[in-house]
Amino acid sequence: MNLDQALKTYIEESRELLQEIEDGLLRVEQEADTADTVNAIFRAAHTIKGSAGLFGLDYLVAFTHGVESVLDRVRDGSLGIDAELVALMLECRDHISALVEHAAEGAMTATPELDAGGQTLTTRLNVYLGKQPPATTPAAPEAVEARVEASGGGRVGCDCWHISLRFGRESLRNGMDPLSFLRYLATLGDIVSIETLTDALPAAADMDPEQCYLGYEIKFRSDADKATIEGVFEFALEDSQIHILPPRGRVADYLDMIKALPEDDLRLGEILCRVGSLTEHELQEALGAQAAGAQAEQGEATEPAPIGDILVGAGMVQPELVDAALDKQKQTREHRAQESRVVRVDADKLDRLINLVGELVIAGASTNLIAQRAGMADLLEATSTLSRLVEEVRDSALTLRMVQIGATFSRFQRVVRDVSRELGKEIQLVITGAETELDKTVVEKIGDPLMHLVRNSMDHGIEAPDARVARGKPAQGTLRLNAYHDSGSIVIEVGDDGGGLNRQRILDKAIERGIVQAGQNLSDQEICQLIFEPGFSTAAAVTNLSGRGVGMDVVRKNIEALRGTIEIDSVEGQGTTIRIRLPLTLAIIDGFLVGIGGSSFVIPLEAVAECVELSEADRAASRDRHYLNLRGEVLPFLRLREVFDVDGLPPRRENVVVVQYGKQRAGLVVDELMGEFQTVIKPLGRLFGHIRGIGGSTILGSGEVALILDVPSLVQRTSEREGRALAPPHALSVQ
Amino acid sequence: MAKTILIVDDSASLRQVVSIALKGAGYDVIEGCDGKDALAKLNGQKVHLIISDVNMPNMDGITFVKEVKQLPAYKFTPIIMLTTESQEAKKAEGQAAGAKAWVVKPFQPQQMLTAVSKLILP
Repeated sequence: MNLDQALKTYIEESRELLQEIEDGLLRVEQEADTADTVNAIFRAAHTIKGSAGLFGLDYLVAFTHGVESVLDRVRDGSLGIDAELVALMLECRDHISALVEHAAEGAMTATPELDAGGQTLTTRLNVYLGKQPPATTPAAPEAVEARVEASGGGRVGCDCWHISLRFGRESLRNGMDPLSFLRYLATLGDIVSIETLTDALPAAADMDPEQCYLGYEIKFRSDADKATIEGVFEFALEDSQIHILPPRGRVADYLDMIKALPEDDLRLGEILCRVGSLTEHELQEALGAQAAGAQAEQGEATEPAPIGDILVGAGMVQPELVDAALDKQKQTREHRAQESRVVRVDADKLDRLINLVGELVIAGASTNLIAQRAGMADLLEATSTLSRLVEEVRDSALTLRMVQIGATFSRFQRVVRDVSRELGKEIQLVITGAETELDKTVVEKIGDPLMHLVRNSMDHGIEAPDARVARGKPAQGTLRLNAYHDSGSIVIEVGDDGGGLNRQRILDKAIERGIVQAGQNLSDQEICQLIFEPGFSTAAAVTNLSGRGVGMDVVRKNIEALRGTIEIDSVEGQGTTIRIRLPLTLAIIDGFLVGIGGSSFVIPLEAVAECVELSEADRAASRDRHYLNLRGEVLPFLRLREVFDVDGLPPRRENVVVVQYGKQRAGLVVDELMGEFQTVIKPLGRLFGHIRGIGGSTILGSGEVALILDVPSLVQRTSEREGRALAPPHALSVQ
Repeated sequence: MAKTILIVDDSASLRQVVSIALKGAGYDVIEGCDGKDALAKLNGQKVHLIISDVNMPNMDGITFVKEVKQLPAYKFTPIIMLTTESQEAKKAEGQAAGAKAWVVKPFQPQQMLTAVSKLILP
């Protein structure tokens, strides 16, 4: 007989068992007492899995394992069997059958199609298990260690493992013959000497010949590690006392390894286990002894004995190893303490500092201006050094206010759990970019809008489990929170793998509500953005679920108050990602100063892509159209002079500042380019809050006030104008 | 004379693979397809080691081990239980019944050989 024949037997046998499973499943629904049938089905699945392992058919083992686990729960009564489960089990049976036939052709791995099919079924099985089944724990990793090379010059007599064995009295009756273990031990190395201890032997009259009274002290020379040597006595560990001490040479190795360990927060026992001087089993035993000791001494309220003392006392490890491990712990702890030296500062004090730095920036700019006017080279040099330092102070002051967004994100774990339960959906939350930092004020204010978006995604985005399965998605929906930095802004994404936005229904609703006119041409992004319009209730419009008063318009308003914007990416049937783009900080920006007539304006530097001169040809050509040719690209532009109604005639030479926001570009026509300049944003009074195109104001070094342009809204205006070429131009006036 | 091992499992293919491995290592092997069958096969003959599955029709592994331990001829015979990782309770039950050694299913033939050779060498 050979293995091929055995495999044939296995295939035959599996086919029979699969037939039994099918019969059983078809029968089980009609039966009053299902225990026997369920047991038979379980046993059949179990046998298929058990033997598959012998032939190395891992894909069969893996899939059948899930089926077996579910059946096991049915068997122990924690899961009822109903028509739905029977149907799933029948599908699984068919899949196992396909896998067995695949194996019959001699394949050692599954095809991708089989894998995919198995994956889908496994996902459905996991629903019954209530959780992801724990991955079969791989065998404990063997301690990786360099072999000790003999250093020449013959072996040192005492450099051996020392093993002391006291077998349990019942060993012989349990079929554990000490001699067998010793014989097996000899296959791992040389038994140098063995001493039999007979002191436990009772007088002949009292002796029970079926009991084991003997102990052994063994000197053993081997390259095997401690866990392997302990493994020899694996089956006897429970009733016997076994101590294994490494050879001298090993101790030095262990000491080196302890020193080389990474500085993790490890317990003493864990350190010793990690380097292999202590085995898992020994550690458990010592911990048990420690707990027992503490209990015994409870009356005296003493500290439990240190684990190190117990280990040394029980002869499990050498004292110097315990000392080395303790040193390591101490060193790690000290290092830690240094790392986490944190000063807690009152937020108000920080705000004051930032304000002062802001004033310093302005004062620096003013000094710079005076130096330039005076034309003193020395002074100019001094002020430029000063401005560089001020810039650094500004940057580090700002980072003081930066906090990680992780804490805000992790609050949603609970929300997602509770709300998904409430909605009867299965939703997992995946958080990425938790370490992304942003201004503390922004973090505080982003919580509510995020909450709206997350609830909205769960309520209207992610479908009910059966609808998802019907669409071929995993029953469990995924909600993603992500944050990252992108060219001067921070981007926060709320994504789901739900149904996506239905453009037509949104458009219909918007027309019905009079938000847009029928026949108006809207871009995809504009249609998506409609859900943020006031009066557009997604709840009533897109699904039949009752809304919870989540006005998405409120979300947009909150984000815009932070100088941020919202974008939507949505693929119908695949999901929606809502992207919030926020400025990194609210207080200070690098600006680009431009002049129009007698007024100065500041454009946030991160928005500026380039500056070009408005050539005479372009000027003539663009007299009544609002775009120009930038190296073959169409660039819409705005004449800021017109936008802000600045008095006076344009100079002979005009310039175009090309600004970029997201993926859109636009040109802003100005008179004069005055260069880079750092500036503190002073908010505009509420009176000016409604003005579009202006984000704030600042004070220049000369004491003049300059307005800070709101690039996003300006860029948006150019694209709006494109869309409604015939609409009359808006004019804004600044008093 | 070669030592004899009794392997008890309801899967014929598992028995076959295990016996190929054991015979290759120099043991003699007898097979039983469940507890009842195995007891009949034993019938007083000298066996050095018993390997038994837990889940079997007719008579399960635990009952089988208990029965074997009742027989004077097999008082000192080591027994290896075949358990699965999901059956910690079964393992404890088996140990209480007298099967002190165990091998976790699914296993590779080599793992079985290692476990066997810790208990008896050919």
